[in-house]
Amino acid sequence: MVSQKALQHAEKCRFCWMCRHLCPVQHQTGKELNTPRAKGLLLSMLSKGTAEFDKDMAKAMYECMLCDACVNDCCTGYQPPLFIREARTEAVVNDLAPAAVMQCIENIENSGNIYGAEKPSFGQDGTDVLVYIGEVAACKVPEMAKAYLRLLKKAGVSAKVLDCEPASGMMLADLMGYVQEVTDQAKSCADAINATGLPTVVVLDSYDAEIMKQHYAEWGCEIKAEVVTATAYVAKLLEDGKLTPKAEAKGAGACHDDDRLARSFHEFAPVRDIAKAAGYTLTEMFNKERLAKSCGTAVALSYMPGITTKVASGRWADLCRTEAKAMLTANPQAYLCLSQCVPEGMTLVDLYTALNEVV
Amino acid sequence: MQEKSLMFRMICSELEDAVGVENVSTGKTERAVYSVDYFWLSRKWQDAGEEGPMPEIIVRPGSTEEVSKVMKIANYYKIPVTTWGGGSGSQGGALPVAGGILLDMKRMDKLINLDVEAGHVTCETGMIFATLEDYVNEKGYSVMHLPSCMTCCTVGGALAHNGIGILSTKYGKMDDMCLSLEVVLPNGDIINTLPVPKHSSGPNLIPFFLGSEGTLGIMTKCTFKIVKQPEVRIHHAFLFPDIHEGYQACREIVQAVKPSIVRLFDEAETVSIIKKIIGFAKKGSFLNLTLEGYQKIVDAELEIVLEIAKKYGAEDLGTEYGEKWFENRITFFYPDHIMDLPQMFGTLDTVATHDNIEKIYRAMKSAVEDNFSQYGVRFISHSSHWYDWGAMNYSRFIIDNPPADSEEALRVHNQIWNAGVRAALANGGVLNDHHGVGLKLSRLVKEQYGPALQVLQALKEKLDPNGIMNPYKMGL
Repeated sequence: MVSQKALQHAEKCRFCWMCRHLCPVQHQTGKELNTPRAKGLLLSMLSKGTAEFDKDMAKAMYECMLCDACVNDCCTGYQPPLFIREARTEAVVNDLAPAAVMQCIENIENSGNIYGAEKPSFGQDGTDVLVYIGEVAACKVPEMAKAYLRLLKKAGVSAKVLDCEPASGMMLADLMGYVQEVTDQAKSCADAINATGLPTVVVLDSYDAEIMKQHYAEWGCEIKAEVVTATAYVAKLLEDGKLTPKAEAKGAGACHDDDRLARSFHEFAPVRDIAKAAGYTLTEMFNKERLAKSCGTAVALSYMPGITTKVASGRWADLCRTEAKAMLTANPQAYLCLSQCVPEGMTLVDLYTALNEVV
Repeated sequence: MQEKSLMFRMICSELEDAVGVENVSTGKTERAVYSVDYFWLSRKWQDAGEEGPMPEIIVRPGSTEEVSKVMKIANYYKIPVTTWGGGSGSQGGALPVAGGILLDMKRMDKLINLDVEAGHVTCETGMIFATLEDYVNEKGYSVMHLPSCMTCCTVGGALAHNGIGILSTKYGKMDDMCLSLEVVLPNGDIINTLPVPKHSSGPNLIPFFLGSEGTLGIMTKCTFKIVKQPEVRIHHAFLFPDIHEGYQACREIVQAVKPSIVRLFDEAETVSIIKKIIGFAKKGSFLNLTLEGYQKIVDAELEIVLEIAKKYGAEDLGTEYGEKWFENRITFFYPDHIMDLPQMFGTLDTVATHDNIEKIYRAMKSAVEDNFSQYGVRFISHSSHWYDWGAMNYSRFIIDNPPADSEEALRVHNQIWNAGVRAALANGGVLNDHHGVGLKLSRLVKEQYGPALQVLQALKEKLDPNGIMNPYKMGL
């Protein structure tokens, strides 16, 4: 079953209720099963022979966004996503994962991405930086990717995008844990990036940036270039005066801190700098920065659209309690999830497109 | 009910019609997570590889009307109903020991009305308490109910156990905060208590349901009063030579001023938990105290507190340790910071008038330490909720190496509880202060009430003639 380390974490979490208020899936489904402690308890029961790892348990392990809200708020260092990811590995290995999950994995095997689609070419062969677009932006939110590239051009940055950009491994890792297939993807991706010889890789999707910056080295496939989040890179261009926005008032907006910027990088200021430069008057949702509620992920949206859309609607509800009428995001996954359920009278804003309008 | 029987499936179908197919579950994986709450024995059972009590059907209602429909079905078929909020109770109150239907209330988490001007908030009771507090905090207000379980308990769970939070000495407990309730009775009828809690219009209905632990009905909506966040909140700590002086000083303080937090620790807890969490390492009886409100009033209150503390020989520790305690107020309850298996432990909390509270502390300490020394039992205590008329003790027993055998462990566990609780009852205390009765103390309810129990029994028989509501709990 799961490793001793994962079981130790599960055993510590099985009788602890302290993080459930932050779990976006629990909030939206109201299911006890969808709490970190319940998932830990099930794995503990499994190790003691009082529960069976069947399709129901496998399904429960997939009803989680891996958003790290539970980890972030905990003073112990125990990590539910650690044992949940390992349980997913077991589910896939034992053919117990939900059919929709298996379809996603099959798509990755066949096409290199979760959508089973061919990634479009962005026709960029510059020499200053490499921009890693990622499969969500490429396949589902290409306008955001194009807007980002236009911004770089306006700033005088010569950007390159890989023609056949390999997957980072991030999506496969969410689907089946940190297994060999994931590290293989990571190595291919790192090799392709390193082969460009460019000094900087700007990563559009912070979920890709997280796996590159926080896992690649331990897997022996370190990226030689400096890995920078797209938000931090553009914020620096603004700070350095390479992008000079015209003053234009667009009303009140609130920035959504995506899971990875919020909890993996603790990067909060750049997205707000971009929003202000784009003309928005910032207001804040109550659960912000490290405590920002997840709005779902693209991978979860693919295999459980119903729950993920509910999770996104939970984030919209946070916005609706503020004065803002615009949800501002610079993350393609957040944009995709939030676009599923925009409430009447509210607007979802891709910050790169918005910034393009004023520079 | 036979899980595969035609009748079982017929009842499930009826429940699905009431709340939606996706909100009824009978799978073992999902049922299993309700077999353990925060009760030590349920945890021990699970840890030993024993199967805990499971419901047969999980139902997740999304509205009061759906709760009503479920209750009508359950009452007709005489199926036990156990209500589950956060499952964070320590008394086994939410364990579905009679099987039947488990009503998981967490889908009912809507904020219904927040009126800061009038000073109240109304919500459904499946809401996690921390979420409610967030909603109110967004507007600069607070319910001022900050228990250690705030992030995991539901509003309904707090009401059902008449819970209390760390700021209780100023703001009170659930029965001071709750203005009105909506309740679904066991027959499915939906009732409301009167719009306000203070009146002379007949008996107040709220106390019948607060603390009733799901045995008389299901609270579905609640209106709480809210208050503006204080201008200042200051923390101060003291060290008394002994808990005796501490009790005397705290009594005098709460009869003179209105602190929000008063936590007096005996020496055993001062040199163990207080030392571990906030790094204070002296012998004696530690007190952390918080004052809050308008600066001018707080300044005057602090002056009085300092005078009283000095009179009883307290060392003034200044603000540092009080602030550290406040910062770490929830840290105490995380794994590796709180007692955990294989240890056996329990919180023998009780409440009494000022003249009895120290007597109870000493009697309970003696009942536990003198009778169970063969197990190496330790006894620690603090008093954390104070009234002008009395105080509570939050006394805990800890055994590092309890019997490994589950049944023997259960026997020892219950013997300690019997001895501790009887020491409280014999000296003017009650079964429990704020965790409730549940399954853990159900057997002792008769001893506590004596012939007065017939009042509760009459209520139970009238409201729940089929005895379906949370069976075997509360001694009812």
